[in-house]
Amino acid sequence: MDALLSIAGVSVRFGGVDALADVGFDVPQGALLGLIGPNGAGKTTMMRAVTGMVRPQAGSIVLDGVEISRLPTHRRVRLGLGLSQQIVRPFAGMTAAENVALAAGYAKTADPLRALATASRTAERERAGALLDLVGIADAADALPAELPLGYLKRVEVARALALDPKVLLLDEPLAGLNTGEAARLADTVVDLNRQGTTVVLIEHNLSEVMRVCRHLVVLDNGRKIGDGDPAEVMADPAVRDAYLGAAEASGEARDAAA
Amino acid sequence: MYEISLLTVMSFSVIFALSLNLITGFCGQISLGHAAFYGIGAYSAALFTTDGGSFWLALPLAMAVAGFFGFIVGFASLRVRHDFLAITTMGVGFLFTGFVRQQDFLGGEEGIAGIPDPGIGQIPYMLLCAALAAAVIAFSLYLKRSWMGHAFDAIATDEDTARTLGIDVARYKLTAFVFGTALAGLAGALFAHYVKFVEVESFDFIESISVLAMVIVGGIGSVWGVVVAAAFLSVLPLLLQVFADFKLLIYGVLLFSVMYFAPGGIDSLMRMVWRRISGRRTAA
Amino acid sequence: MNYSDLLIQGLVEGCIYALIAVGLTLVYGLLRILHIAHAGIFTLGAYVGLLLTNETGSFAAAFVITVVAVGFFGMAFYRLFYEPLLDKPPHVALIASIGLFVAMEEIYRIVFGATSISFLAPPLKDTVEVAGVRLEEGRIAVVVLAVVLIGGLAVLAGRTRIGIAWRATVSDAAMAESFGIDLARVRYINFFVASALAAAAGVMVALLLNQVIPTMGGVPAYKALAIIVLGGLGNVKGTLIAALALGVIESFGTIYLDRVLDRDAIAFAFLIAILMIRPQGLFIRR
Repeated sequence: MDALLSIAGVSVRFGGVDALADVGFDVPQGALLGLIGPNGAGKTTMMRAVTGMVRPQAGSIVLDGVEISRLPTHRRVRLGLGLSQQIVRPFAGMTAAENVALAAGYAKTADPLRALATASRTAERERAGALLDLVGIADAADALPAELPLGYLKRVEVARALALDPKVLLLDEPLAGLNTGEAARLADTVVDLNRQGTTVVLIEHNLSEVMRVCRHLVVLDNGRKIGDGDPAEVMADPAVRDAYLGAAEASGEARDAAA
Repeated sequence: MYEISLLTVMSFSVIFALSLNLITGFCGQISLGHAAFYGIGAYSAALFTTDGGSFWLALPLAMAVAGFFGFIVGFASLRVRHDFLAITTMGVGFLFTGFVRQQDFLGGEEGIAGIPDPGIGQIPYMLLCAALAAAVIAFSLYLKRSWMGHAFDAIATDEDTARTLGIDVARYKLTAFVFGTALAGLAGALFAHYVKFVEVESFDFIESISVLAMVIVGGIGSVWGVVVAAAFLSVLPLLLQVFADFKLLIYGVLLFSVMYFAPGGIDSLMRMVWRRISGRRTAA
Repeated sequence: MNYSDLLIQGLVEGCIYALIAVGLTLVYGLLRILHIAHAGIFTLGAYVGLLLTNETGSFAAAFVITVVAVGFFGMAFYRLFYEPLLDKPPHVALIASIGLFVAMEEIYRIVFGATSISFLAPPLKDTVEVAGVRLEEGRIAVVVLAVVLIGGLAVLAGRTRIGIAWRATVSDAAMAESFGIDLARVRYINFFVASALAAAAGVMVALLLNQVIPTMGGVPAYKALAIIVLGGLGNVKGTLIAALALGVIESFGTIYLDRVLDRDAIAFAFLIAILMIRPQGLFIRR
C-alpha cells in the first residue's frame, strides 16, 4: 500500500526546545490514523508542520508524490490537505453556511481574476448545506458564529475542511469540548467519511473514541515517536503505557493530592 | 456653472474614496498614504497632456502608472501587517511628496500649471466624471458580491485562516492594491484636468487622511455609505464657507466621533433607520 | 560643512526624535495604540512653553511648568479619549487618534492663529565651542535634557515600585493584574511620562527654531512613528538607537540625497528599506 502522506525526519525547535525530534510516519491511502500522545507531546506542532504554519528545521513531507515541506499553506491545501484546527476560527462576519461555502468554492477562489469573473454561489451554498447536514448541524446554517455554542463551531470547522474535498483530512481535536453523545456522533461521521474514501489523520485526547474508530495509531511523547502500528499492539507496548499511564497516574496523583 | 462644478468634484471624489474602500474596506489593508496614488495619476496625466498627449489616452495611462506603483507598494506591503502596514503606507505618502518636491520635471514645489482643457465643455466633462463614478460604483457593488469579494472578506477578517482554505492571500492583496491604486490614478487624472493645475500639497498626508475620513464616515467596506460620505464631504467645503474654514477640524472630529460612537459609519446608521422603517411597516 | 559638524547636528536632532519617540513607544508597548495624537501634545508643549516664557520671562520656570502641566494633560487625554476605546478592534483607536491629531492642529490654528509666534527674548542663543565645533547652548541643552530625562526614566523603571509595576504590565498585563498591580494607575503614569517627554521636545524645538506654528507637530511626529517601527514597536532601547541613527542619517542625507528626496522623506525611505529586510523592525521586542 502506497503512502498518501509520508512524513520523514521532521524536526522543529522553538528556542532551545525540541518540539519535534526526527519524527516520521506514513499515512496510507484510505487510512484512519490516530495521532496521540500526552499533553505537549508535539501533536499540534506536527499538524502545523504538515500544513505549513510552522517551518521545520529538517525533514520531508510528501503528499501524493509531491514534496510539500517548502510550499506555502495555501498551496498545500490546494494539493489536497484539509485542516480542522483545535482552536476554532470561523469568519465572524459570515454565517455557518457561508463559512463552509467559501471553502467549497475553492476552485473559484484559486485565482483572483477568475474569482472576480463569477458571482454565483448557488452550487457552493447547496454543498455547504449538505456538509452541515452531514456533520449534524443543518439547523445552524444561517446562524452567525457568535450565536453558536462550541460544539457547533467545532463541526462548522470540520465541514469547512471537508468542503475542500481533501485527499487527507487533518483533524486537530475535533471532539474536544463536545459531550459524550456529540463526540460519539462526530466520530461516527469521521468513520463514515473514511469509509467513503477520505484519508483521515485524527489528533485526539479522547482515547476511548480513538481506540474505537482508529485502525492505526502513531504515539508521540516529548517530541519523539514512541509507537506506530495497530492500536491494540501499540497500546500494549510498555513504553507507550509508561508515557500515557505515567502521565495519567501523575495527574491522578495530583488529583488525589489536591483532594 | 456652480452646480456643474459641484457634481464634477463629487464624481471624482466618489471614485477616489471607493478606490481606497477597495483596499481598506474590502480587503482590510489599512492605507494612510493613498493620496500618493491620486497624485501619481494626476501628475502622469498632467505631464502627458501638457506634452501634447490626448486627454482620452491620459486616463488609461494614469490608471496604468498608478496601478504599476500600486503593485510595487502592494508587493512591499505583503511583508508587513496591521500597525506596521499603517506606518509603511504613511511612509509611501511621504516618499511621494518628498520625491516630487525635489524633481524639476514634476515642477518641484511649484507644481505643473497650464494643463490643457479636455476640450469637451464643462457639462460633458461633468457627465463623463459622473458616468465613470457610476461605473466604479457598479464595479464595487459587483466585486463585493463576486467570489473575489468573498475571498477579500475572509482575508480582511482572518488571513491565516483564509490560507487554510487554499486562498492565496498575497495575490489577493496585490490585486486589491493594483485595482485600488489604478482607480485612484483615474480619479487623480480627472481632478488634474478639472483644476488644470497640480501641486504636491494636493496629495499630502492630509489628503490621505481626508479620503480615509470618507471611507470611515461612510462605513468601512460599505459601497453606498462611502458614496454618500464622499459626495457630502467633498462638496460641503464648496457649499458652506464655515465648512471650508474648519474643514480639517470637522474631518478630525468626524473621524474621532465615528470611531467613538458608531464604528460602522453612515452604513450602519442607514441600516438601523431602514430596520426601524421596515419594522414599523410589518407592524402596521 | 565637515563630518563632525554633520555628526553633532545629527545627534542633536536624534535627541529630539528620541524624546518624542520614547513616549510613543511607551504608549504602544502598554496599550498597542499608535498614538498619532502624540504629535498634537508635542505642539501643545511648544505653545505653552513659549507663551509662558514670554509671560514670565523665565525660560527654566516655563519649561518645568510646561512639562508637568502637559504631562497631566496627557493623563486626561488618555482618560477621555483612549480608555473607552481599549476593548475595540485596534484600527478604531488608530483612526480615532488620527482624527484627534487633525482636530488638535486646527484648534491651535483657531486659538493661537495660523502665523508663527516667537520668543520675545530668545533664550540659550549664545554659542560655545565643544570639541572644535561651535554650538548653540540650546543644542547642548537638548542633548543634556534627553540624557537626563530618558536616563532618569530608565533608573526609575529599574529601581522603583511603580517602575517595576510598569515593566510587569508591559510584559503581561493580565499576569501583572493578578499580582495586584493597578493597571489603570500604570496607564495614567505611562501617559504622564510620554506626554511630559513630548512637551519637553516641543519646547526645545520651539527654542531651536525660535518659532511655533500649528502644524509644527506633523513632520517630527511622523518621523517618530517611523522610528518606533524601526526600533521594534514597544522596544525602548531599539527606539533610542533608531532615533539617534535617523538623526545622523538625515543630517548626512541632506548633503548626499538632496537631489532625490527632501530631508523629511529620508526617514521613510530608510524605514521602508529596513522593513523589507526585517518586517518586525530592527530590534524585536524580547
